[in-house]
Amino acid sequence: MLTNSYCLVAIGGSENFYSVFEQELKDVIPIVHTSIAGTRIIGRLCVGNRHGLLVPSTTTDQELQHLRNSLPESVAIQRVEERLSALGNVIACNDYVALVHPDIDRETEEIIADVLKVEVFRQTIADNVLVGSYCALSNQGGLVHPRTSIQDQDELSSLLQVPLVAGTVNRGSDVIGAGLLVNDWCAFAGLDTTATELSVVESIFKLQDNGQSAIVTDMRDSLVDTYV
Amino acid sequence: MTSIYNFKKITPVPTGNDFLDIILSKTQRKTPTVIHANFAISRIRNFYMRKVKFTQENFDERLKSILDEFPKLDDIHPFYADLMNVLYDKDHYKLALGQMNTARHLIDQVGKDYVRLLKFGDSLYRCKQLKKAALGRMATIMRRQKDSLAYLEQVRQHLARLPSIDPNTRTLLVCGYPNVGKSSFMNKITRADVDVQPYAFTTKSLFVGHMDYKYLRWQVIDTPGILDHPLENRNTIEMQSITALAHLRCAVLYFIDLSERCGYSIKEQVSLFHSIKPLFANKPVMLIINKIDAMKIEDISAEDRALLDAVVDNDKVEMMGMSCYTEEGVMNVKQTACERLLQARVDAKMKGHKINDILNKIHLTQPVPRDDNPRLPFVPETAISKPKYDPKDPNRVLLERDLESLNGGAGVYSADLKKRYLLESDEWKYDVIPEIWQGKNIADFIDADIQEQLDELEREEEKLETEGHYNSDGEELNSEDEALAATAGAIREHNKLTQIESRLKTTKNRPMLPKTALKRKVSEMSDHLESIGLDSSEVRARSRGSKRARSQSQGEAIARSASMARPETSVVRDRTMSGVRNVKQKLESEKVRKLAQRTPNLFAKRGESDRAVQTKMPKHLFSNKRGNGKTDWR
Repeated sequence: MLTNSYCLVAIGGSENFYSVFEQELKDVIPIVHTSIAGTRIIGRLCVGNRHGLLVPSTTTDQELQHLRNSLPESVAIQRVEERLSALGNVIACNDYVALVHPDIDRETEEIIADVLKVEVFRQTIADNVLVGSYCALSNQGGLVHPRTSIQDQDELSSLLQVPLVAGTVNRGSDVIGAGLLVNDWCAFAGLDTTATELSVVESIFKLQDNGQSAIVTDMRDSLVDTYV
Repeated sequence: MTSIYNFKKITPVPTGNDFLDIILSKTQRKTPTVIHANFAISRIRNFYMRKVKFTQENFDERLKSILDEFPKLDDIHPFYADLMNVLYDKDHYKLALGQMNTARHLIDQVGKDYVRLLKFGDSLYRCKQLKKAALGRMATIMRRQKDSLAYLEQVRQHLARLPSIDPNTRTLLVCGYPNVGKSSFMNKITRADVDVQPYAFTTKSLFVGHMDYKYLRWQVIDTPGILDHPLENRNTIEMQSITALAHLRCAVLYFIDLSERCGYSIKEQVSLFHSIKPLFANKPVMLIINKIDAMKIEDISAEDRALLDAVVDNDKVEMMGMSCYTEEGVMNVKQTACERLLQARVDAKMKGHKINDILNKIHLTQPVPRDDNPRLPFVPETAISKPKYDPKDPNRVLLERDLESLNGGAGVYSADLKKRYLLESDEWKYDVIPEIWQGKNIADFIDADIQEQLDELEREEEKLETEGHYNSDGEELNSEDEALAATAGAIREHNKLTQIESRLKTTKNRPMLPKTALKRKVSEMSDHLESIGLDSSEVRARSRGSKRARSQSQGEAIARSASMARPETSVVRDRTMSGVRNVKQKLESEKVRKLAQRTPNLFAKRGESDRAVQTKMPKHLFSNKRGNGKTDWR
C-alpha cells in the first residue's frame, strides 16, 4: 500500500520484491513491513492517504501497535468496525476525496471523513461496487475500470477533481487496484503491464514530463491500434 | 507475444521403418505374451484379437495425430497457405496428408476384418496365423507410405524453422531488387542479425525482426530480392517475397539503389516497381532511395529523375533518401514508415464498429471545478532530489535485499521490524511490553494522556468543593409538589397495570387452557347463578359431599344354579361350496388348485411359500465321490 507519506509492505514475501519499494522510496517516506489480521493481503484490507490509515477490525492489537510505532505522528491510525472488512476494495481515496462502496456503514463514512480528512462519496465504477479494486487514484489523476462510460468518467472526475482515463494494467486486467500502486510522484505496476499501459499510467499520473493530454494526442493512435 | 501461427510444436514424423518398429514393439510390450494350446479356445481367440485390435488402434492414433497436427491449408491465414504452397507445393502436401488418411482407413478395415475372422479361429495355430497376416497387411500398407512420411518429416522440419510472422500485426515489409541494401536496413533498425553479403540473393527466405516505436511492437520483414520477370517465371525464393507482399497488411518500403552498384539500372528498378504495383493496393508505399552516400538524388541524370518523379506523382508514393552505410536518414525512414502505417491502420479501425467500445479509453476526462478549494499534489522535496538508485554503485544505500544476502540469504535472514520505529527515544525500540497482564489486554488500557485526564477531574472536583457544591443537603420538596408527584405516580402505576392486563387479555401468544380444564369453585358458580337471578340451591346440594346410603349387605347365595347343556349348533354347512356358484365351477377350481400344487409337490414343498432347505449336503449324496483330479481331499 502506497501513499504520499508512507508505504506498507507485507511480511513473508521475498525481500527481493520489497526492496524494489525500498530502492525508490527509502529516506523519502517510511516503508513498513506489517501484516494485517495475520495476512499478507494488506493492500486489499486497509486504506489510507497522507493524513491517516484505516485498518479493519480484524487487525490485532500487536499489529496496530507496530503500525503506530512505525508511522509518523502526523498519520492517524484508526481501526474500523465495518462489515465490509476489505477496506482497500471498498474505499478508493486520494488526499482530498474518497469514493466508497454504496453499502458502507454511515459510521464508517464519518470515520473516513475524519481520519483521512477527505470528502466522501458513495459511488460505483462501471457498475462495480468495489471502487477500490477498480481504480487507482492520486492527487494528480486517476485510472478507472476499462468499461467506465464517458458520462461516468465525467461524473467521477468532477467528484474527484482530478483528470481520469479508463484503462487496464497487467496486459488487459481490469482490476486496476490489484496491479497498480501510485502516489503523487511514483507508481509501481504489475510485471505483465505492457509498454502502452505503462505510458498511459505515466501520463495520467504526471510521472513524466509529457502532459496528461498526451493520451489524446501522441498516444491516441497507438492506443487505438492496440485496443481495437 | 506468442503468435497463433506456431508450427514449432508438431511432433516429429518417424520414417516408414521406424514407424513400424514403434507400433509393433509397442504391441509386444503392452499386450500379454503367454499362451498355451490347451487353453480354452475362447481365451486363445481373445488373446490374438486383442493383439490385432491394439495394433490397429495404435496405427490409427499415430496417423490421426499426424493429420491433426499438420496445418490444414484451408484453415490457416492465406499468407501461410500461399507460403506453404510456394515452399512445399500445395498438391504434394495435400496428397501426402490424404495418403496418411487413406492408410489409416485401410488399416482400420484390415483390423476389423481380421478380428472378425479370428472369431472363427479353431486352434491356436490358426489364430496365430490370422494375427500374423493381420499385422503383416497393416505393415505393408504402412510401408507403402514411406515416401509420404519422409516428405512430411521434411516439411515439419522446415515449418519449424519458418520465422513466426504474425500476419495481422503492424508490419514493415522491405522489398526491391537483389543487393539494394534491404538486409542492411533491417539490421540497422532491428536486432535481427541478417546475413549481408555483396552478392545477389544473399537472403533466400523471409526474415523477421522486431522493433519498438511509439510504445508498440513492430514487425519488420526482410524479403529476398525480386527480379523483373513474369510471375510464372519466378523461382521459389522470389515467390516468397511476392506471397508476403500479396497477403500481409503492411507498409511497403520499396528500395531503389541509385548508384546502380547492385547491378541493375534505375530504369529496371522503376519498371519492377510498376510491374509489382498491383500488390501495393491499399497499402502505404514508400520509395526508399538507398546508398545516398554513393549517389545523391540530385546527381542522377534528368532521364532517370523523370522516371522517379513519375512514380512519385502518379502513384502517390513518398520518396525518401537514406544511407545504411552512414546511417543518414535511417531513423527518419523508420519513423515515417511507421507513422504512415499506423495512420492507415487507425483510419481503417476508426471506420469499424469496434471503435465505439474503446472510445472511453482514448478520452481524457478533465474535471469541472466544483469549488475554489485547491487540491494540490503533495510531493516531498526529498522525493525530487533523491538520486536514482544504481545497483552497481558500490556506495549505494543498503537495502533489505542486501542485508538478506549478507546475513545468510532467504530463509535464514528475517528482517528486523523494529529498527525503524519512530519513537521519542531510540532506546525504547526493543522494549518488551507484555501483551496480556493478569488476564487483561494491555492494549485496552493504553491511554496516552490518562494522567492529564485524572488531573483535570481532580481539579474540577476541587473547584466544586471550594465553591461549596457539596455543602447544602439540597432543598426539601414542599408538600404540594410531593402530593402532586404521588398522584402522578399512582396514575402511572394504574396505567401500567391496565396496560399489562389488557395485553394479557388480548394477546394470543400464551398457553391457553380449555374452559373445561379450568378449576372452578362451586361457590363461584353459585355466586354467578345467584347474581343472574337463578336458584343455586340445587347445584350446591349436588356438589355437597352427600354420601350415598350404603345398601344393606346381602349374604352370598348358598346354592348354585343348576347347570345346563350348551345348545347344539347346526354343523351341516358345506364349506367346499362356499364362494362357488355351482358344482361345475367347484370342479374347475379344484382342477386349478391341483395344477398349482404340482410343482411344490415335485420339490417336496408345502406350497410356494415354503423355502426351507432341510439339508444342504445330504451325506448319502456326497460321501465317497471323487472330483476330477482331487485325490488328496481326504
